[in-house]
Amino acid sequence: MARQQGLFALILALAIAAGAVLFSFPLQLGLDLRGGSQLTLQVLPAGAIKTVKREQLEAVKEVLDRRVNGLGVAESTLQTIGEDQLVLQLPGEQDPTRAAKVFGTTALLEFRAQKPGTEQEMQGLLRLKRQAQSVLDLSRRRTPADPAEPVAPDQPPAPAPSFPAEDLAKALRELGVAVPAGAGETEQIEALLDEVNKRVVALYEPALLSGKDLVSAGRQQQQTGTGWDVTLNFNRQGGEAFAKLTQAIAGSNRLLGIVLDGRSISEASVSQEFAAAGITGGAASITGNFTAEEARDLEVQLRGGSLPLPVKIIEVRTVGPLLGAENIRTSLVAALAGLALVAVFMVVVYRLPGAVAVVALSLYSLFNLASYALIPVTLTLPGIAGFILSIGMAVDANVLIFERVKEELRSGNTLIRSIDTGFSLAFSSILDGHVTGLISCIALFALGTGLVKGFAVTLGIGLLLSLFTALSCTRVLLRLMMSYPTLRRPSYFLPSHQLPSTAA
Amino acid sequence: MTSSSSGSSALPPIQYFRITRHRRIAWWGSLAACLISLVGIGLSWLNPAIGAPLKPGLDFTGGTRIQLERACYPSCSGITVPQVAEQLESLKLPSEEGAAAPALRGAPVQVLDQGRSIELRLPILSAVQGTALIGQLATSLGPFKDGGTSVDTIGPTLGAQLLRSSLLSLLVSFAAIALYITFRYDKIFAFLAILCLAHDVLITTGLFAWLGLLLGIEVDSLFAVALITVAGYSVNDTVVVFDRIREQKESLGAFPFSDQVDVAVDATLTRSLYTSLTTLLPLLGILFFGGSSLFWFSVALTVGISVGSWSSIGVAPTLLPLLSGKGFVGSAQSDGAAPAGSA
Repeated sequence: MARQQGLFALILALAIAAGAVLFSFPLQLGLDLRGGSQLTLQVLPAGAIKTVKREQLEAVKEVLDRRVNGLGVAESTLQTIGEDQLVLQLPGEQDPTRAAKVFGTTALLEFRAQKPGTEQEMQGLLRLKRQAQSVLDLSRRRTPADPAEPVAPDQPPAPAPSFPAEDLAKALRELGVAVPAGAGETEQIEALLDEVNKRVVALYEPALLSGKDLVSAGRQQQQTGTGWDVTLNFNRQGGEAFAKLTQAIAGSNRLLGIVLDGRSISEASVSQEFAAAGITGGAASITGNFTAEEARDLEVQLRGGSLPLPVKIIEVRTVGPLLGAENIRTSLVAALAGLALVAVFMVVVYRLPGAVAVVALSLYSLFNLASYALIPVTLTLPGIAGFILSIGMAVDANVLIFERVKEELRSGNTLIRSIDTGFSLAFSSILDGHVTGLISCIALFALGTGLVKGFAVTLGIGLLLSLFTALSCTRVLLRLMMSYPTLRRPSYFLPSHQLPSTAA
Repeated sequence: MTSSSSGSSALPPIQYFRITRHRRIAWWGSLAACLISLVGIGLSWLNPAIGAPLKPGLDFTGGTRIQLERACYPSCSGITVPQVAEQLESLKLPSEEGAAAPALRGAPVQVLDQGRSIELRLPILSAVQGTALIGQLATSLGPFKDGGTSVDTIGPTLGAQLLRSSLLSLLVSFAAIALYITFRYDKIFAFLAILCLAHDVLITTGLFAWLGLLLGIEVDSLFAVALITVAGYSVNDTVVVFDRIREQKESLGAFPFSDQVDVAVDATLTRSLYTSLTTLLPLLGILFFGGSSLFWFSVALTVGISVGSWSSIGVAPTLLPLLSGKGFVGSAQSDGAAPAGSA
């Protein structure tokens, strides 16, 4: 009996440890339970790279990691999934718009000189661009339900920029832009702007300097106006290249283009005074009339570096925290209701050992939750479903054992002997059942995606633990009870009319 | 328990019934269920609106699902599906680079909980467009509860990938389980276990094919999870019976094989039923209290586990004598130990 008591003390110690673990390491809840946004990014092959390999995925992740840190969302995580995907989780974030913008772009920054002899064409394009841009800016500032824009009363209102319909149609026709029928003015202007930017970029020479040579990026408010500039600092090599680039076009009518992801975001002229040595010092700024947020996002992107391969956002899931709380509440109620029903069933059908099994199952649940906290497993809704199902498996192990014990008792064996035989006979089918279950879990975990994985993890942990609790906890508790003569009655195990008359 | 065993050479008493005597009913029942399932799957495939064995949900087809909770207390002013649809049509979404905003005409709309929440199924929207859509709808149908909104956007490539990985993990776990049982038992046992598993998975799939046809129920990635769980349970259930047959070989080896099967099924019957019951209890918990997100998941599991428990009693053991070439000798002749329970 001393051995039983020793084992019992061990189980008790484990239970206390599990409780302590749960107390000190809180359970990690998935975004579907606590609310937040999740973005899945697909890394696309480009150029010479036909398939995305491990190291390229890691390189992309490194850049995105820096952007995550730059964004400053608390507890955000970025993980690689499979061969060519990344999952970004932003707890608490309910509007994934900004994250989608910051993460979905390559942020390839290039400094390019205008080709000689294209001045006239460039002038025309830039005029169109400025006009389109100002109309768009105005309509954007107006739309976000803010009709009461403060206007200084003593100043005559500035003439609103506009784009007369026939001018717009003419410009679109000249540039060969096909606009879908029924498109509104804003859409037409946007299409025009796209085409203009494309044409502007075509007028530049190949890039001599790129974002790779950046040391840092910052932002500052413009001295005149309300826009923001993004400031850049190059390394030595970059500074030299920038000086050479500016020297080449200084004093001419050619422009210096700053191109981000193939879109011209800023065009600057370089004045005569730099013709001797170019702009030295390794610093530059992009005057793009950004809003504070745009400037910050661009700064974060530039500081993080450009992505070695383009990415595409293929999945966005957003769950509001209220829905998350609702999910927790309902699944908790479901789990507790299910457990209570199982407990009642076990006690009614199996009497004393049933009650022991209920204790063992409570320990089992405790161990399960403690391992989630330790490993750590992020609990999601399917994960909770996996946990509840694993309870079913754990109960099955107990049912198998107790049915065997009953059988042995019916055939006239003594109580202690029946218990021992019951455990050893049930073992092989319990093992087989659990192993086949684990095989499914491994297949699901190795080959499944996000949600499916969460389910496989909790079910798998449950199966492993249930092997332990059914075969050790239940057994030790039962044996310990059998050391008290008052509890050693077959009628606590089985209705007495089922007992053979010879049994004690 | 009326018939007493006449010594160690007699067959142990049968408590409930001899399953091999009812094998024809069992086979025909299962065959009919499988055929009905196949018809459902076939009809669903031929149905031009579905065009697949099951009606694929957003997880597989790709698209955007938006769920909105209206903030109205104590009661919401009633809104109807056509009202929401009308609002949707009048929306103007910002276009993304290089692609116009998708048309929202005819997108499926559901109004749930007496107008308290709205579910929209839309073509793929970008994050910007989704936010814009919610913002614009809020002016006409809102205000919406802060924090009660959920938006899922799934790209079409992800859906295909999910389908592929679900099928692959199902097949791989089939193969691995078959290997394990071959190793622990033998080839015929493994074959029967896989047959039962296919039987259970087929019937569960068939039910959802019919549900898709009749009620428009779609399957999502959780359905794939449910199928794989059903497969695991089915094997677990079957293995327990097989384990008993193997264990009895020493004591009952002299009896006809079908009698051995009868004894094994009879002895494990209580356990099979109790196990299914204790697994179904938590599932019923999810079914009734688990909320809408897990409802069809638990329906699939409930059906699959019930069918699995049936096939491990009625299908696998009754086919075992047939396949092992030992036939049904025992059932043709009457032997000493007559069944007491149900004969």
